[in-house]
Amino acid sequence: MQVSARHQKHRLATLVGFLPLIIFLALLLYVGLNAPNFMTVVNLKLVLAQSLPVVLSVIGLSAVVMAGGDDVVSGGIDLSTPATAVLCAGIVSVMTTAGQPLLIAAGASLIACMLVGVVNAVLITRLRMAPLLATLAMFVAVVGINNVITARKRLNLAAESIASLRQDFVFGIPLGILLVAVLALLAYHFLHRSKWGLNLQAAGGSRDAAEISGIRVDRLVAQTYLLAAFMGFVTGFFMLARANGYSPGAQDNLMLEMVLATFLGAAFSPRRIVTVWGAILGAVLVAAISIGLKTIGVNVFWTDLIKGALIVIVVALSAISERVQ
Amino acid sequence: MDNVVRQNRLSLRSILMRFGFLIVFALFFLFFAAWNPVFVQGQNLLNIVEGSAILIIVAMGMTLIVATGGIDLSVGIALDFGAAFAVVAMKSYGMGWFSAACVGLIGGSLVGLLNAALVVGLRISPFLATLGTFFIGSSAQRIFTNGGGPISYRKMPEGFRDIAQGDLYGIPTEVIIAAVLVLIYYLVLERSVWGRRVHAMGMQRSASIVAGIRVNRILIACFVFASITCAVGGLIAAANIRMFTPLSGFSYLLDAIAAVFIGAALHPRGRPNVLGTLAGVLFLGMITNGLNLMGLNFNTKDALSGIILVSALALAVAQRNMRNADGD
Repeated sequence: MQVSARHQKHRLATLVGFLPLIIFLALLLYVGLNAPNFMTVVNLKLVLAQSLPVVLSVIGLSAVVMAGGDDVVSGGIDLSTPATAVLCAGIVSVMTTAGQPLLIAAGASLIACMLVGVVNAVLITRLRMAPLLATLAMFVAVVGINNVITARKRLNLAAESIASLRQDFVFGIPLGILLVAVLALLAYHFLHRSKWGLNLQAAGGSRDAAEISGIRVDRLVAQTYLLAAFMGFVTGFFMLARANGYSPGAQDNLMLEMVLATFLGAAFSPRRIVTVWGAILGAVLVAAISIGLKTIGVNVFWTDLIKGALIVIVVALSAISERVQ
Repeated sequence: MDNVVRQNRLSLRSILMRFGFLIVFALFFLFFAAWNPVFVQGQNLLNIVEGSAILIIVAMGMTLIVATGGIDLSVGIALDFGAAFAVVAMKSYGMGWFSAACVGLIGGSLVGLLNAALVVGLRISPFLATLGTFFIGSSAQRIFTNGGGPISYRKMPEGFRDIAQGDLYGIPTEVIIAAVLVLIYYLVLERSVWGRRVHAMGMQRSASIVAGIRVNRILIACFVFASITCAVGGLIAAANIRMFTPLSGFSYLLDAIAAVFIGAALHPRGRPNVLGTLAGVLFLGMITNGLNLMGLNFNTKDALSGIILVSALALAVAQRNMRNADGD
């Protein structure tokens, strides 16, 4: 009798644990029933293509959060990734428009992006600045510098080869989606299956315990900020491909969606921790919801409200399921 | 010999430790003054304070929330709601300026109540809860204004206009309002038992629960109090341009966070505090004003103030680290 009661409670906890995901899927199902072409392969490809920049930036952010701990205020967070991404897009656009070869432009923007990562790492691991503060200030500074470089102008794509991320197909799959899938698998392997990744998670779980057992936490944390800067660099190219050029002001939306996807991803994971696959799933689902709401003709003014309510519901459910468990 | 060198270094170090940030503050001040003598004129200094009044008010609310150990990303929404409720109360319902201002404050407090319900009731972390409030509040404004067009009311009552444009013995009203709020916040947060409890809870939440502090009650009060404060900023903004501009509060968010953390870095124990925040806001205001007077291109000015922000924060934190290292 008692055993069965416990069994029931366990089943309840599992059910509540899956509720965040169920709510998302139910919303998508509702969209699918109301707009028959939403559930087609073409549209799903569109959703994936739309989500690529966010997927790439959440890979970097989840590494940072895993190593720094998931307390948003005092733990690890990198808000500067979107700024790094637009910096890359800006430098590449300006240089290729001026007639420089793509390779040189890419090299220059890689240096600039990694410089942002180095400054983040120094501020956080040497000066012990709170990551939220350091990367927020860097976001403001980098966006400012990028606005000087690009003069806040829209620049059309000058390097045709970047467009192939959007247009070309390999085995019937868009090249961009394939590349991001490979990067995501690599990230999953290194962050969740390698010794480095396990050390990273140990550092994020309990910094003191990790240090006592001989993990060089500061070095790991610094590496994650460099990784995040590198992912920002890669994101820049996909933003150029998606918007067919550089458009000023893309960073604000990317920042909100990146943070949203990463922390929603934590609600999807069984232990409520930030994981790479959770963050990627979050990014794709957020893109799917945005496009889905548009297809069934929801007024665009309402999309933010629905997104905000979703954050609140999903995160509240994950807090409740933790208590039930 | 060696000893002398060390002593010299120590004294330089101790000067830097105690006054590092203030020295940078003073250097920038002198630099701007040398560039353009207008900068030091009394009128311009008053302009700096007047231009920073709304940010001072918003940053006070942020200081309170950060002192509880959280963060509030929805300060801009509370500001917008304050402005919107007051303007609509006057324009559509013909209310007098005082009752309209009260309606504005009530409108702002709705934001704090929602935050408190999410953080205390549903146990969502403040960052995500206020991010949710931010999305919901932004959308509500877009829906209400049918896409984000401003609601202007040129003929608003004299009394309401005076909130921003009037003056008392030559001092602009908004500066007086900001000064009164700073005083209230200083007395409540730094000089009262209640303020001690807020700080205790921000430093060691579980310990303060064990010590019998009613954490939930304090959190609710803080969120509501902070949002009402931001709504005061909204009243000033609305009175200043005689209209409500949707989503205009967002521009204060990053500066308010930066000011609070500059202030925390100046504090001996790294805690957010009212006077430090005030110093942070005035620093930011001085930089903006000084760069404006230099007549720089808009983009260059933006980039420079971003770089100065990073360097100033790095310096303030380095200063705190040195002080802590010496204290050990």
